[in-house]
This record gives sequence, structure tokens and C-alpha cells, in this order.
Amino acid sequence: MTVKTIESKSLKEKMILKELPNGLKIFFMPKEGYTKQYAIFATRYGSNDSEFIIPGENQATKVTDGIAHFLEHKLFEEPEGSIFDKFSELGSNVNAYTNFTSTCYLFSSTDRFYENLELLINFVQSPYFTDENVEKEKGIIGQEIRMYEDNPNWKVFFNGLKAMYHNYPVKIDIAGTVQSISKITKEDLYKCYNTFYDPSNMIVFIVGDIKQDKVFSIIERLQKKESKTEKDIERIYPEEPDTIVQNIIEEKLDVAIPLFNIAFKDIDNNLSPKELLQKDIATKIILDMLFGKSSDLYMSLYEEGLINDTFENEYTGEIDYGYSMLGGESKSPKKVLERVLAHIDKLKGTGLNEKDFERIKKKHIGQHISYYNSVEFIATTFVAYYFKGINIFDYVEALKNIEFEAVQKRFREHFNRERCVLSIISPKSFEQNE
Amino acid sequence: MLNRLKAIKIGENIKLHIIKTDKFKTNLVSVYLKRPLIKEEVTKNALLSMVLPRGTKNYTNSMAISKKLEELYGAFLGSDVAKKGERNIIQFRMQLINDQYVKDQNLLAKGMEILNEYINDPYIINGFFKKDYVDQEKENLIERIVGRKNDKMKYAYDRCIEEMCKDESFSLYQYGNIEDLKNITNQSLYEHYKNIIHTSPIDICVVGNFDENEIEELVSQKLKFKQEDVVSIGREKIEYIPESIKKIEEEMDIRQGKLNLGYRTNIPFESKRYYALLVYSNILGGGPNSKLFKNVREKESLCYYIFSRIEKFKSLMMIGSGIEFSNYDKAVSLIEKEINEMNHGSFSEEDIESAKNSIITSIRGMTDSPYMLADFYYSQAISDSDETLETMIENIRKVNKEQIIEAGENICLDTIYFLRNKREDR
Repeated sequence: MTVKTIESKSLKEKMILKELPNGLKIFFMPKEGYTKQYAIFATRYGSNDSEFIIPGENQATKVTDGIAHFLEHKLFEEPEGSIFDKFSELGSNVNAYTNFTSTCYLFSSTDRFYENLELLINFVQSPYFTDENVEKEKGIIGQEIRMYEDNPNWKVFFNGLKAMYHNYPVKIDIAGTVQSISKITKEDLYKCYNTFYDPSNMIVFIVGDIKQDKVFSIIERLQKKESKTEKDIERIYPEEPDTIVQNIIEEKLDVAIPLFNIAFKDIDNNLSPKELLQKDIATKIILDMLFGKSSDLYMSLYEEGLINDTFENEYTGEIDYGYSMLGGESKSPKKVLERVLAHIDKLKGTGLNEKDFERIKKKHIGQHISYYNSVEFIATTFVAYYFKGINIFDYVEALKNIEFEAVQKRFREHFNRERCVLSIISPKSFEQNE
Repeated sequence: MLNRLKAIKIGENIKLHIIKTDKFKTNLVSVYLKRPLIKEEVTKNALLSMVLPRGTKNYTNSMAISKKLEELYGAFLGSDVAKKGERNIIQFRMQLINDQYVKDQNLLAKGMEILNEYINDPYIINGFFKKDYVDQEKENLIERIVGRKNDKMKYAYDRCIEEMCKDESFSLYQYGNIEDLKNITNQSLYEHYKNIIHTSPIDICVVGNFDENEIEELVSQKLKFKQEDVVSIGREKIEYIPESIKKIEEEMDIRQGKLNLGYRTNIPFESKRYYALLVYSNILGGGPNSKLFKNVREKESLCYYIFSRIEKFKSLMMIGSGIEFSNYDKAVSLIEKEINEMNHGSFSEEDIESAKNSIITSIRGMTDSPYMLADFYYSQAISDSDETLETMIENIRKVNKEQIIEAGENICLDTIYFLRNKREDR
């Protein structure tokens, strides 16, 4: 059992790590003067993990779409009803989310933290699924799926993924479909639970003005499993070609103005955590240099009325997939795409501007530090990066150390029109003025 | 808990609120201009909040401003409009990293200079705002107004209020309307701006780690306002007994229906009864332990989300949910049943305790966000309340069952709004 302290001088923050004999890792970040306490219990199990070999078995198991998310919903169920009541009595807000790579259970409180923590650790370790409560959940999740079907931002994002990926499960909706979830049984849920909710596949992250020893001892005391599992879970992901599926994907919805997303698919996957972090930072800086509010392109597209202030960009860099995305609302998404590609071609000729690089880097340093105002940000970001093998404290140092040459190189490799897709959501009654 | 100083008068109608705390990485300066929420102004105010970011005297386009902000370690500077009851608030915000995290001195003073320029020295050409900027932002504002239907949940919520308060200025959309936008020119917009900058009550909230005396001096030195004939803005009317229930249906090509119910609570926020109302709404639909969540979602599997919330300044209670179109009648009657049961006192002491704890947690939680802190103190300022967070919490604690039932007696259903799919049979 080891206890380690990690400090960041740049952030003026520190974190204490303790690993338990069963493989569970606990991270605690003291935040003096903060009223809120925040805890996340997370498992490295997301919607992408749809095929795997259960430790001790020989054959692969393939599960139906939406099961990780369904399981998240059902963990709140206890034999005596819903765990929500108990958190409510304590006045805390409990919640959960499932994404492509993880499932996270969390609460925030301002009082009686340790009691809340006990509840969290206990309920995540106590699955209770019955035929009846599984059936009942299908109606609720059905409405959640419907809600997203009416959400144009969600649709434009997912259609972009579908146009980029041939086989990789990131193209499948996290919640599945009304049809795919209709097949889920309690046996399926237990199978996934037993595989992925193993302490060695999970972490707890806690932040707040609370006592370290008490935090660690509560979590240790409540462990249902004492020693580590011998074998790891083997996750099976399909082979994904470097190419994209289609250049343009378009869908009509009841919206007022078209929404669009332009995405560039990564092909340099499975890097070391250090390289992955470097790639993450470099790409985010480039996106701002090329398409941020201080860029020539943003300025001219804005003045011509081709974009408005909804135009934004982001980079997602996971271990075995990644993509850049930029988009917003536009009367003519296809014209924006042309201009984006022409801008990239031009800069490939002239090279990027080093002054822009230095300025944007400064911006990213300031913004990254300011995110540490929020305990929610710290906790959710920590977990997301941790599952990629990256300690979020390393982010600001890597950002300070990144060099212009690395950014130039990444720019030339990543922004390739062969791997670029355009996703458009257009109004049902709308003639595009192309 | 927090070191909050009394509001300091730094001008005839300018108040400075200093909230000193060393827990944030940033310093925040928020400037609020208060206007009446009226049709003649609301569209102009919205447009203004979009034209001002386009340029200042020394940074004549938004690119130049952005570059300057990036130099200041990614400082945030922006403007927006909001409605707080029947007040139209124009807000300016500047957030910068605290000096101690970077190798740069006096970031706050540098930021304050830009903020002042942004507010008091916008880019003027031939005596007015630049025509191109105004024309472009008029187009963007049209997109924002028509584009609001993209977010169905928010759209249905707003539309319910609009139908409910048809004859009250609270129905005005904070981003205005397209008809009024057409008649605005770069000249008339500038005249309007000169007028409001001189005649609006102004509040400045500063949140961060600094010396209180220095910050007071810095603000009075860097942020300069000249005021005359400051407008006075009255209290909105909040007491209404609906004659009959309005039922509104609107069609859109969607997969999930959005059901919204608007209630008149007839309880002003100044009243002690307001705290009982907050608890009432929380027991009903405040979170996963609420009556609506338990009975409409968990028992009947009718929805994924369902909530009840209070519109503080206008004293409304709004319920919203996303349901299957065919479940309209069932959902409405289940919601009415829950309200009815609340009014007959069928809720427990544990329900009350949970609701109180949840409200208190969210009040306390605000102190961990600079933006929420600034907004909280501003809301207090415009409601002429000098209650602290602690006294608010005490008042919540004091609420008892009788008071909650009594709060319920005043609540009347006014409007049922349903956003549904297109009917084939018409």
C-alpha cells in the first residue's frame, strides 16, 4: 500500500494518491476554503467497450448497444428503493454520466461529506437488478433517447462520428436505441457489472476542504473485495481503417438555421501517455491559431456572415481514436468547409506564425489555471485524463514546454482533407444558398 | 464564511460590491446596467451587447480585442443581456488570472483599462457605431432569435411564459424581436447607448484576491461613468388570479413532446412566505427525491426529466417535462394530482428536511464560483435586500409544514403549454 503526494507549483495545488491492495486507486485533492466537496467513483467502462473477454474465460462476449449507460441508470436502484432518497436526506446532489470510455458516479455536498462518501462507495458496489426494475427503466431511457433525437447539436456531432468511423464503436450512440435496449436483461447487466466494476478498473477522486485520513479510512473500510484480480480485462476493438466513410453527411431536422461540424480524423493512435498529452496540447493550440477568434479566417468568415459567435472548436484525443472538430451555425456550411480547407492549404505553404503560437500558448496557460476554480472541472477532467494514463497536473507543465516545431509538425500531419468530414443538420424547409 | 464589504457608493447611482476571497485563481469584474424591461428597449439592448464586442477606440475590430485578451493570459471579456423579472440587465464581464500564477504584473489594472474602453469608448466612426458592424450584428441577432427553437426544452419553457404573461412585459424575450430590429440604425443605436450609459443605475461586483482599498481606488480610477437623470425602475406586478386555464399547443417536427405548466404563486420574493414557496417547489420537483421525479418518472416511466422551479422576481412556478405525445393527458393529470396532494399536506417531515437541505446546499455552493457569487450579490442588490447567505439559510431552516401548505394555497395554474409533433389528421 503506497501513499504518494503529487504537487504542482504552477497550479499551487497538491494531490495525495493511495492505492489499495485490491487495486482501487484513491486520489484526494485538498481545496482549502472551498464550501463544496465533490467525489467521483469512476470505472473505466464506457459505450465503446461492447466486446471483451471476461477474465478467466476464453471466448469473447459481445453485448448490445447502450448497456453501459443502462447499467449506470440501474445502479441507483437498491432493494429498498432508490438511493436518491438517502442522498437527498443529506442535501447532496448525486448524479452519474456515461461516455465512450468511462462511467462516473458523483455527488457534491456542502455538509456531512463523510456520510455522503459512504453512500457513494456502497451503492456503486451493490448492484441490484430485477426483471421488473430493468423493464421499468426502458421507458425512462426511451425518453432520454427521444430527447437527444430532438437535439440538433447532439445529432450533428454524432453524424460526424458516423461519417468518420467505419467500425470503431464511437460511431454508436452512447444510450443505444429504443430497439437495442429493449433486449437488455438483468443477466446482461450483472455480466458487465462483474467484469468492469472491479476495483482494479476503478478510481475514486475527491476534492474539497476535508480530512485526508478520514477519507482514506472510510473508503478502505467499505471495500467489498480485498485482493487484486489476477487477470486484466481484454477489450476487443474492431480494426479501423485510416480512411473516412463519407465526406458529407446531412440530415434534416426542425431547426431554424443549419448547424454544421467539420471534423478531421486522427490516424496516429496508441501513443504513449506522454506523446498523447503532447498531441492533445499541440492540436488545441493549432485549432485556436487557425480558427479561434483572433484568427484571420474567423474574422473574414464572421464579417461575411458565414459564421456567427457559435463557431467553436475542440479536440478529442483518446488512446485509440481522436478527432478535431469545429462548427456552429451557418447559412452555408459548404462554403465554410471550402474556406477552411483553402486556409489550411495556404498555411501548409507559408507555415504557421510563431507569434500567434506564443500568444495562444499564453492564453491556454491562463485558461487552464483558471479552470482550477471549479471542483467539478478538476474532478471530471482528472478522471478523463487518468484513464488515458495522463496525470492532469502534468498538463500545465507540458503546455509551458511545448515548442513551435512540434506544433508545426502536428499541423502538417493532422489537417488532411482526405480525412475531413462535414456534418450538416439543415432545416426541413430550407433551400441552401450555395 | 466570506469577507463581503458593504456596497460602496462610488457615484450618485453607482455601487461597488467587493467580495474578497483568496480561494480563486482569477479576479472577476462584473458591471451591470439596470433598465426597465420594455418593448421599446429590449431589442436595442440585445443588439448593443453584440455590437460592443466588435471594436473599441484603440482596438478597432474584434480580432484586435481577442489578440489583446490572449496577451493577458486568455482574459475573458464579454457582454450579454438578461432579464431579472421585469428588469432588463446589460452585463459586462471581465475575468483574468490572478498575477501570482503568471509572470506578469498588474494584470487586473490592464484588464480594467480594456473593460473601461469596451464600455465607455466603443469604436465610433463619423459620430456613430460603424454601420457594417451594426448591420452584421442585426443579421446575427435575427439568427439568434429564430435559432432559439433549436433548443426545444428551453424554447418550450420560454414560450409557456410568453403565452402566460402575454399582456405583461415579462413576456418579452431578452433578445428582442425581429420587427423592432428592422428599424434600428447605427445612429439610433448609438443615441440609445449614450442615453442608457448616462441614465442607468450601475452596479459593479468584484470577486477575487486583492487589497480592498486598492481595488476601490482602481475601480474608481479606471471605470469612468458620467450619469444624469437616472431612471427609476418599479417593482413588477405579481398578483394574478387566472380566470381560466389557458391551453396552448404548438406543433414542430419533433420526436418528444415538451410539456410546460405555468403557475401564479402570488408570493413576492420580499415576503417571508417566499422561503416556504421555495421549499414547496423543491419537494414537488426539485430533484431526484421529489414527488414528480418519483411518481411521474420512476413509478410511471413517463419521462426522463421533470422539474419544478421558481421564477423569483415574477413569482411564477414553472413545471417542465419531456414526454411521449400520447401521454399528454396522463402527465397533466399526474402533475395536478401531485400538486393537489401537496396542498393537502401529504408530504412528510423527511421530505421537508431533504428539500431544505438541497436548497441550502445550492445556496452554499454558489460561494465556490466567482460568477455565481457576483450574480448573487447583484440579485440581492436589485431586490433591495441586505440578507446574507447565512440569514437566507436560517430563514430556509425556519420553514415549517403549515407554511408550506399555506404557500400552496396561493398557487394557481395559469397556462398549460405543449410542444408536440405535427398532426397527420389535419
